Amino acid sequence: MAAELLRESYEIQGGNFDKAGEISSEIKVILRDLDIEAACLRRVVVVAFEAEMNVVMYARRGTLTLILTDKDISLEVEDEGPGIPDIDLALQEGYSTASDEMRDMGFGFGMGLPNMKKNSDDFCIESEIGKGTQVFARIRLNSHG
Amino acid sequence: MVELTHGFKIDTTKCAGRMHCMRACPTQAIRVKNGKAHLIPELCIDCGSCLQACPSRAISATTISLAELDDFKFKVAVASPALFTQFGLNDTPAQVGRALLDLGFDAVWEYAVDIELVNRTITDCVQNWPGPFPLISDSCPVVVRLVQVAYPSMVDQLLPIDVPREIAGREVKRKYSRELGLKPEEIAAIYITPCQAKSISILQPAEEGKSYLDGAIGISEIYNDILYRLLKDGSKSKEDTQRHFLESGELFHWGNPEGEFPNLSREHYLPLSGLTDIIKVFDDIEKGKLKNIDFLECHACLGGCVGGNLTVENLYVARSKDLYLKANMPKPTPAFEAEVARRYASEDFSMRSSIRPRSFSRDVLDLRERVIRKKKSEEIQKALPLLNCGLCGAPSCEDHAEDVAYSRAEISDCVFLSKSRIDQLRRVYKKGSRANKR
Repeated sequence: MAAELLRESYEIQGGNFDKAGEISSEIKVILRDLDIEAACLRRVVVVAFEAEMNVVMYARRGTLTLILTDKDISLEVEDEGPGIPDIDLALQEGYSTASDEMRDMGFGFGMGLPNMKKNSDDFCIESEIGKGTQVFARIRLNSHG
Repeated sequence: MVELTHGFKIDTTKCAGRMHCMRACPTQAIRVKNGKAHLIPELCIDCGSCLQACPSRAISATTISLAELDDFKFKVAVASPALFTQFGLNDTPAQVGRALLDLGFDAVWEYAVDIELVNRTITDCVQNWPGPFPLISDSCPVVVRLVQVAYPSMVDQLLPIDVPREIAGREVKRKYSRELGLKPEEIAAIYITPCQAKSISILQPAEEGKSYLDGAIGISEIYNDILYRLLKDGSKSKEDTQRHFLESGELFHWGNPEGEFPNLSREHYLPLSGLTDIIKVFDDIEKGKLKNIDFLECHACLGGCVGGNLTVENLYVARSKDLYLKANMPKPTPAFEAEVARRYASEDFSMRSSIRPRSFSRDVLDLRERVIRKKKSEEIQKALPLLNCGLCGAPSCEDHAEDVAYSRAEISDCVFLSKSRIDQLRRVYKKGSRANKR
């Protein structure tokens, strides 16, 4: 078991497009200041941003937790929202349930979950209709962090 | 770790410790200790903001002087297109070029060819680039260094193509060593630069290779000499052996933030200038915005290279000259086209090695230790007033906390935490104020 070095949790407000992206920016700054290797940092930021946007777009509220160990970086996202009826379908590139309004803002092209999965070394997702969704993503650090 | 060289020096005898530079620095790379400014080299991106901010004129650019060129047997000027925007409407690039010859250069390079070659290569590269998007231009060394220091995850988005001035330097050496039977090191390829940042990119390229150029002379350093010759040159005669070279100086495109890439779709190409805006846009790119943009052309100086900090003319006056030159640009001659075609077919324009993020703690400390320092720095910050007064010598309380966590400063440098600090500052700055009254 890898030793946990850092754990930070962030509240995400559903529907607040004004602040959308701020949490992933904050995570980026933390990891950059820790001098996390660039390729890994990039993947974490992509996953965090997509996770944050999903909560903003669909849920009432959610929490994103960043966990850093000496071996990897994990992101845990839990939201209170409508849930995902068909996870396999949601993981297909281009599949989207976004409204026209969201698309007008440049979101909801059906790349969110597939993109998160693509950028993670471990990825799992659980959802309960009417209650919410939990996503777990892990990105391994290279040998020097 | 390689020691980093920078494009300017701080003259400590002139420095009055007034912290203008520290507050102006966009990457928080300056500290003022004992009334004198110091640089944290790893954080400096050579933007030159401090040069302009300094009220004591203690910071100067590291460029070379004409006298230093005497060691070379053949001296070639590669002039930034910005040079030609610095003089009056009726002073043609050809005349400015001849003034360079009068100043002691043996040749003025037909730089428009290299610019055209690189523009073509960029257009190809953008059209075939698999991602990640957007690609970011690499001609401004400040932008490259900003990415290395503050946006390490975006280094793969820097254009993997060498800059025109390097391509020019390589060809200068190749052509004249062949034609004149000289060794490449006997030929000086000197860039006439609008900023100190390009000077540093020659002394120490970001990709850690060696530059093909031998140095840079600031436009402001030779401005008066050129102006004098332009005033003297009433005849406007063009009987020069290098005539076609000099005229093609009028064929430049590079160096201002608009429309340099006619073959790229306007919809997917975004030019931007000014470090503040660039930082905002890079932040947004990291958040996944600007997905429809393929290519970002970034110049750290507002208005592009014509607004460089070693230029003389007001940016907008220079811009108007630039627009005038573009509007009256002659059609490329067949010789120009042929030279572009010949070199495009035979040369490789790709970057010699890849640009990597500048890491400063990874070599020394493992991740666990870095996390400990970070937590320590957060703890220290809680004790600080968060007023960012700068009297500790760091630009913000956050920076001071980090300096303390990394043992670069004492927490007691904060005036809110130590009474003796204010006495110490009084001693240092009393001296400064008397000197100023002289």
